[in-house]
Amino acid sequence: MNRRSALKQMFIMAGGLMIATSCDFSPKSPSIQLKTISLDKGDEDLLAELVEAILPKTDSPGARELNLHLFVMKMLDDCTSPEDQKTFLAGLKAAEKVKGKPLADQQAYLTGLPADDNFFKILKRRTLQGYKNSEYVMKNKLKYELVPGRYDGAVKMEG
Amino acid sequence: MANLNIDSVKDRTYDAIVIGSGISGGWSAKELCEKGLKTLVLERGRDVQHVKDYPTTNLYPWEFEHRNELPYSVQQENPIVNRCYAFHEDAAHFFVKDQEHPYVQEKPFDWIRGYQVGGKSLLWARQTQRWSNFDFDGPARDGFAVDWPIRYQDIKPWYDYVERFAGIAGDKDGLPELPDGEFLPGYPLNVVEKYFKQQVEAKYPGRKVISARCAHLSKPNQIHIDQGRVQCQNRTLCQRGCPFGGYFSSNASTLPWAAKTGNMTLRPNSVVHSILYDDKQGKAVGVKVIDKETKEEIDFFAQVIFLNAAALNSNLILLNSTSSRFPNGLGNDSGTLGKYVAFHNYSARISAEYEGLLDYKTDGRNPAGGGYIPRFRNLHKQETDFLRGYAAGFGAYRSASADESGIGADLKNAILQPKYGNWGVGSHMMGETIPKESNYVTLDGQKDAWGMPLLKISVDYDENDAKMKKDYLDTMEEMFTAAGFTNIRRNESSQAPGLDIHEMGGVRMGKDPKTSMLNSWHQLHACPNVYVTDGASMTSTSTQNPSLTYMAFSARAVDHAVNELKKGNL
Repeated sequence: MNRRSALKQMFIMAGGLMIATSCDFSPKSPSIQLKTISLDKGDEDLLAELVEAILPKTDSPGARELNLHLFVMKMLDDCTSPEDQKTFLAGLKAAEKVKGKPLADQQAYLTGLPADDNFFKILKRRTLQGYKNSEYVMKNKLKYELVPGRYDGAVKMEG
Repeated sequence: MANLNIDSVKDRTYDAIVIGSGISGGWSAKELCEKGLKTLVLERGRDVQHVKDYPTTNLYPWEFEHRNELPYSVQQENPIVNRCYAFHEDAAHFFVKDQEHPYVQEKPFDWIRGYQVGGKSLLWARQTQRWSNFDFDGPARDGFAVDWPIRYQDIKPWYDYVERFAGIAGDKDGLPELPDGEFLPGYPLNVVEKYFKQQVEAKYPGRKVISARCAHLSKPNQIHIDQGRVQCQNRTLCQRGCPFGGYFSSNASTLPWAAKTGNMTLRPNSVVHSILYDDKQGKAVGVKVIDKETKEEIDFFAQVIFLNAAALNSNLILLNSTSSRFPNGLGNDSGTLGKYVAFHNYSARISAEYEGLLDYKTDGRNPAGGGYIPRFRNLHKQETDFLRGYAAGFGAYRSASADESGIGADLKNAILQPKYGNWGVGSHMMGETIPKESNYVTLDGQKDAWGMPLLKISVDYDENDAKMKKDYLDTMEEMFTAAGFTNIRRNESSQAPGLDIHEMGGVRMGKDPKTSMLNSWHQLHACPNVYVTDGASMTSTSTQNPSLTYMAFSARAVDHAVNELKKGNL
């Protein structure tokens, strides 16, 4: 495996996504190329606000800075059933009413949705999945080891 | 069509041909090449070279486009292989996709396949237990199938032999039902697995919990270093292919060793159509291949042929090898070819929590996976209303997790500061199923893209399996309760046979040519220069994982074949 060339091919961003170089750069197009769903730049911006409402910037980067809205879009496009895509897009459209509102209002809107709201479930699940598996978190916070080189089955914990 | 000019025939003639490059084929190839035979190894899939062709092996989780999930369309297009626990973004390229290689399910059967150099040896779960006389005696004692023509003593030296080369980590446990081997140091049980071991062994005489035995280099010997392999690095990303050669695969071990002799010719993309039988000479003379890319037919010739295509594909090839002498498939005088297929029953799991030992956690990863409970049911005497028994895996896990119910800064803080909760414990069953004539494979009228008839599979569970499953769940629940585990959850799966990936039989061994296909040396009774040493040869299925036994069978059979060749008997 030639890691360097693989990395070059993938052009990895902080959130771990490939930016399509072939997409057109008109102001209305989203930043990544989509295959099965249609979203414009406005939808992308709304998604960016919503993922930030779920995991905001604190003393560490929030979801938006980690490009998790792009990850949510990617998973929605590739790894989601057509039925779930439909519900999600409808939910996103309904959420437009909180676009540009303060973070607290957006959070109140999301938590005010019914407990079984599929839009929020998908949005939150994908945001958290992207966050916990992001390069930033895995390198700096919940450290992931590719090569542990050890196993200790009885580590005494302190305190 | 084959080009039949004389020089070309000479070019296409070898001392030996091995069909298949997986776990058993790799061993056949190594042994034949080491003993000086010019050997052609045929593999129907593409070439996969150690390290070079493991494209995902060094990727971090965030480097996978979908964080190791497969796209929805891929999952929908592959309902069968998608049920396999290892079919994800990191290893999907090593699995056969459903539509590329169809088969006919007379009854539901999840046939999981790896068509490439190395086969499923890249993907296996690496558990390696010896079989014992409780297994080889089983059919004769319990009155099913036919008697094995061999016993543990016949295969013991070959277990020693293959274990030393492959590298098997394990403890010497001194159990007659699970003979000790030539082990590298075992991986220690963790603190809760040890606790469960103490509880079980104190409260249930005859039941044991041991460290799982696995094909990992816990502490390599010189022979492993000589193969270019180094110590297992506890990545537990084995299904991607291991750049360290930390676990045993054909790609890391036997095939490069065979290649080093200069005697091996490896031909990937070679779909074996049939074994060629010559009526006049009264023996097999070669193998007909269809080139996967060009679809050209080519015949290769050899004195001895090892069939290691994986259990059901070895059946398919023999069924498709017809001649005037063998109209029903090569060596099939008994009419048993394709019948008495059996498998392992993996259809129940149980999980629970343990609220003790909360001042301990684990660190790093255990490639062995944890503990193993050897078969204890019906071992010394028949004590239940079902035949045979089951082994079980057992593992305890503790990882930190977060309450993810909220939103905003609180949620983020919770995720970044996960807390250790109770231990989780779990077990799964590995039951022996009984080979029956009614569990069979045969040829379908439809053909695949290479002109091969599709395999029709008719294999199912029976009442014995249902009783055994219930006993496993009841027994484990009782043992978990006795150990003080809480929140016990029984989990019955309705999975079809096949998903265990331990299909066996169809070309079974036996003493009597009237009721079996292979003799005690794995030769076809009726065509002794063809040896079958993969899962197809299994007379019964035991409760242990089968791969180590395929390795030992292959090495033993090659030794026999080479001696017979020298004596002019083949």
